[in-house]
Amino acid sequence: MKPAPFRYVRARSVDDAVAALARDPEAKLLAGGQSLIAMMNVRAVKPETLVDINALSALDYIKVKDGGIAIGAMTRHETVKSSPLVAEHCPLLAEAYHWIAHRAVRNRGTYGGNLCHADPASENPAVALVTGATMVLKSAKGERTVAADDFFKGVYQTAARHDELLIEVRIPSRPKGQGWGFMEVSPRKGDFAMTAVVCTLELAGATVKTARVAYAGIADRAMRFAPVEAALTGKPANEATFAAAGAAARKAINPSSDFHADEAMRRDLAETLTRRVLAAAKARCT
Amino acid sequence: MAQNRGHIPKSRQREKPREGLKYIGKSMKRVEDPRILTGRGIYADDINLPDMAHVAIVRSSHAHARIKRIDTSKAEKLPGVLAVLTGAQAAELTGPLPTWSSPPVFQRVIAHEKVRHVGEAVAAVCAESRYIAEDACDLIEVEYEPLPIVVDPEEALKSRGDAVLHPDHGDTNLILESKFDFGPVAEDFARADHVVKRRLRWPRSGGTPMETNGATAVWDPGSQRFTIHANTSMYNFVGWMIADTLKVPHHKLNIVPTLAGGSFGAKLFLYKQPVMAAMFAKLVGRPVKYLEDRLDASLNNDAHASDRVYYVELACKKDGTLLSFKQRIIDDYGAYFQYGVGQHGNALAQVVGAYAINSVGVHVQAVLTNKNQQGAYRGFGSEVANFVIERLVDAAADELKLDRIEIRRKNFIKKDQFPFLIPTGNMYDSGDYEKVLDETLKLLDYKGWKKKVEEMRKAGRYVGIGIASTQERSVFSSTEFWMWNLDGKIGWTSSPDSMSLKIDPRGRIYGTLHSPFWGNSPETVATQVIAEQFQVDPSNIEITYSDSDKGLHSTGPGGSRFTVMVTGAIVGAAAILKKKIFKIAAHMMEANADDLELRDGNVVVKGAPGKKVSLQDLAFHAYYMRLSMPDPEDPELTSGLDATYVYDHPVTTLPDPKREHMGIFYPIMGHMCHSMVVEVDPETGQFKFLDYACVHDSGVMINPMTLEGHMRGGVVNGIGSAASEQYFYDKNGQPTNNLFTDYIIPSISESPADMKCGHVETPSPFTEYGIKGGGEGGRMGTPPALAQAIEDALSPFGIKITELPLTQNVIRRLVREAQAKKAAD
Amino acid sequence: MSNEKITITVNGKRYDKEVEPRRLLSDFIRDDLRLTGTHVGCEHGVCGSCTVLMNGKSVRSCLTFAVMADGAEIMTIEGLGTAENMHPLQKGFWEKHGLQCGFCTPGMLMTAVELLKEKPRPSVDEIREALSGNLCRCTGYQTIVESIQRGAEIMQGGK
Repeated sequence: MKPAPFRYVRARSVDDAVAALARDPEAKLLAGGQSLIAMMNVRAVKPETLVDINALSALDYIKVKDGGIAIGAMTRHETVKSSPLVAEHCPLLAEAYHWIAHRAVRNRGTYGGNLCHADPASENPAVALVTGATMVLKSAKGERTVAADDFFKGVYQTAARHDELLIEVRIPSRPKGQGWGFMEVSPRKGDFAMTAVVCTLELAGATVKTARVAYAGIADRAMRFAPVEAALTGKPANEATFAAAGAAARKAINPSSDFHADEAMRRDLAETLTRRVLAAAKARCT
Repeated sequence: MAQNRGHIPKSRQREKPREGLKYIGKSMKRVEDPRILTGRGIYADDINLPDMAHVAIVRSSHAHARIKRIDTSKAEKLPGVLAVLTGAQAAELTGPLPTWSSPPVFQRVIAHEKVRHVGEAVAAVCAESRYIAEDACDLIEVEYEPLPIVVDPEEALKSRGDAVLHPDHGDTNLILESKFDFGPVAEDFARADHVVKRRLRWPRSGGTPMETNGATAVWDPGSQRFTIHANTSMYNFVGWMIADTLKVPHHKLNIVPTLAGGSFGAKLFLYKQPVMAAMFAKLVGRPVKYLEDRLDASLNNDAHASDRVYYVELACKKDGTLLSFKQRIIDDYGAYFQYGVGQHGNALAQVVGAYAINSVGVHVQAVLTNKNQQGAYRGFGSEVANFVIERLVDAAADELKLDRIEIRRKNFIKKDQFPFLIPTGNMYDSGDYEKVLDETLKLLDYKGWKKKVEEMRKAGRYVGIGIASTQERSVFSSTEFWMWNLDGKIGWTSSPDSMSLKIDPRGRIYGTLHSPFWGNSPETVATQVIAEQFQVDPSNIEITYSDSDKGLHSTGPGGSRFTVMVTGAIVGAAAILKKKIFKIAAHMMEANADDLELRDGNVVVKGAPGKKVSLQDLAFHAYYMRLSMPDPEDPELTSGLDATYVYDHPVTTLPDPKREHMGIFYPIMGHMCHSMVVEVDPETGQFKFLDYACVHDSGVMINPMTLEGHMRGGVVNGIGSAASEQYFYDKNGQPTNNLFTDYIIPSISESPADMKCGHVETPSPFTEYGIKGGGEGGRMGTPPALAQAIEDALSPFGIKITELPLTQNVIRRLVREAQAKKAAD
Repeated sequence: MSNEKITITVNGKRYDKEVEPRRLLSDFIRDDLRLTGTHVGCEHGVCGSCTVLMNGKSVRSCLTFAVMADGAEIMTIEGLGTAENMHPLQKGFWEKHGLQCGFCTPGMLMTAVELLKEKPRPSVDEIREALSGNLCRCTGYQTIVESIQRGAEIMQGGK
């Protein structure tokens, strides 16, 4: 299990990196490498050129910006996990990290790399969906932003063009009073999710004002489902509503079967976890 | 009519179990550890020889196919490639791989003409580096002609024509079928009040040690010899078989063991890796390493484990008395058949569990399918027997409305009935099953938990308790294998282990083991027993391993043999040495040899405290003062102090010629009770441990700390087998989870935080000091208890657990089906 | 596909080497530097046997190319302690039987070094969290937890 040979380019700056991408249509980015190198070791992928962006310390930051936090794409998972800013402005993201990988992998893996890898069972894309995150992409031609809802396209597929580098992720701060929840069932702790459900919930009195619910592990990408959120908006924030949202989730998703979880299991989990995660979120609405 | 169950031979025990041992029974820190803890242990991949080349294999992508054409030309041209071999070429250089199956099912180091499972080698490359070897593998083109694929073991019974894996064995994949009635099965069933019937399914898992199997081979053209470094066992038992495959005389092969990074059976006897490395070493004239990578290890390692379907019936009286037990077993062996149905011999060693069941009917159907073949895994098939009998006893209790604990108590073989011959002819040497059960209930606080569970259930929680009383047969005798062979020939009956001891001129003791380290504590065990035998401080003892050139007849670890067998060998060698020591000391001190004993590094005269000679002075004398010996012409008083001893199996007998019983073949009978409390989330299928307690009887313990290590480690293996591990093949014979991302070995998060361990010691009357084996019991005790606990937790749904592994998916399915059934009713 | 020149300090010793970009840090450490104490169990980042410290932080050396460690300080099991002078964690593992086959042990130890640096007196739960990505097939984990607690105690001056 050894990777196939590749050309190696060490980018010294963001400009360096985007120039390398522009130059070589076969080039692939090497961030923390915690998914990519594993896939290369089994030769599931054989990139011709790797542009190593680990030297881009300019992309390693977490800061408050425009009513939210901005996370540099090369920020390591462990930095995000232990960040007080993240805990304050995006407690859902901090919570999700209890489920994400293991220490040594988090020390190397990057937040941006994880999102761009777009594994359908990965937790962070689902969190990005419900928090309304925005991706800042840069190429030699300039910068653009893509909403998380438009970013994830399929298994390992995103809206980022080949010549684009994700440089920053912007996440709006949790609105005052908003509750949140994250629940997952995986074969082992730290494994990819069979099903994970993530939500944010805002109440107006005893009524759901807004709810966003996203799922991982049940489709070719992290997804939200309109019928689930419709089952919540404007409804009383109670068990019956949450159960209705769960039932809507069961119907809305179209999961496949694999060795760990068959289709029925994923539907069951989507329903149960939706109900539970909303109840947890309600308890956090202040 | 009483069944002929054979006879019990006289015990050869010399060292009686006794109080007051100084080194045996102590939790001594391991002598293996300092080098391992500092990264200086040498494992298979740590062999690094000058000019060494590396092998990688091309793995078949087809489950069953004819190899039409292989084009290796591109690979051969790749710079750094030294040699490429296909199955046809390898078949010219090497013979079939060793096998114990009879008649033999031949397997080759590289598949020739046909591939029979995904992952089987179809070609191999030797190159300057493993990286280049794998690059070259990518350049090899193989054209296959697909053949019908056999995956389901029950379907395999019907295979004909091209779906047959080995047509030279007939037009069938039923490679061996055997039926035995041990005792009056029909009569016992006729007098039963009730018969419990079940179909049970035990899944294909594997030992899956963290270190894969590997070998580095050197060919010396001068002496025309191979030297092979490998993390293998049994190299001093059957290592010579590899020479046959390599087509050299047996004395032209030396096998040198490395440390093994775990085995659990997976390294019982390596042949594929040594043959692969040696074949290329001779071909390219350089040292060659072939180390399985993780994919090779899950797809092509010949070490998957039992994969069985059971149709079982248990005959009982209304009062819960268990009378007889009938089983039909279909076992999926995969594509080859290396150990025959040894795994079923193993199961029959303890097929009646801890119970005085009068008769047993066994019908085994071994089938071949397009999967990686079966080997050994901690329990070697008898762990499945434990699961089956315990599931049936639970079912009997439920159907007869009896308490699950009381039905066990009622049927236990009682402590005054040992040694006890079970219907299959195997002997249980000693035991006290009630005591083990009682100690377990105490350790768990069963009564306290019963109450707590009741309250938790009232609060809507799904909590259950599981308790299983199971056997751990130890110290196998090779007769377990050949009883099954249908050619009727008397097979091997020897399975010894050996020890070489030397005391050097300064009184230090050297012990040479003839069995390897494979994750157990052989150096520590030997050190403690030698220290006891000679009453010297362990710091004066050095333990090393022989290679096969210097090796003595030794079966090696496996079947929980090692501690019992090496202790026997040490006692034997020490007896020879002590006789000489006392003769010399008697002369030096002008005392009677019969009055002497060893104490604190000295030979002393009993009852005369001042009179002593140190072992150091005595050794010097023995080495250099030949003419000062009592009688220089005494043939027992040659210069120096050394002895070897081959210790044969402590108690084994021939199978019955009329096949009424199998003889005594696995008699040193450990016993354990595992208990636990689990909480299940019926909506997600997840469960967690609230408590865990187990009590083992492994006879007299040499080192309680290392024994508990085996117990706890075994428990987590057992949790894996029962709840998460399965090598799964889809209907096309494609393995779906061959990496650690998907083959779910329990991590610390899935393991109980506090596994309470207890001990009961019923000494074996047959082994030195009364020791029993204890290496496998943890894994053998957990699955039935866990199945019972989960079943208990889900009792409101009326679920019956008949299959493993109990993954979240399976538990949730069982709940869903139960809910649907209830809704329909 | 030209080789890259790298400078890596391992256990305090500086190495200037040329490597293929694809060379895994695990192979670099084991084969190029002949420091075979770091073990490769799965080579796809799950088992944790190959864990080393890179600039003080635990990393999977099988999921890191050696070129990515250019300029870094690596610490392996060989840098921890010797048989004559063991690190407190090694002593803890020895006393509490925190290993059997010893194959996963280097990864366990390096993970524990990082943990104790941050939490000199970790709770059982903190230890279990830290070890969640390191598989052991022998011990059942319980004695590894005890070993780390014991190592912490020795580091704190306990006997």
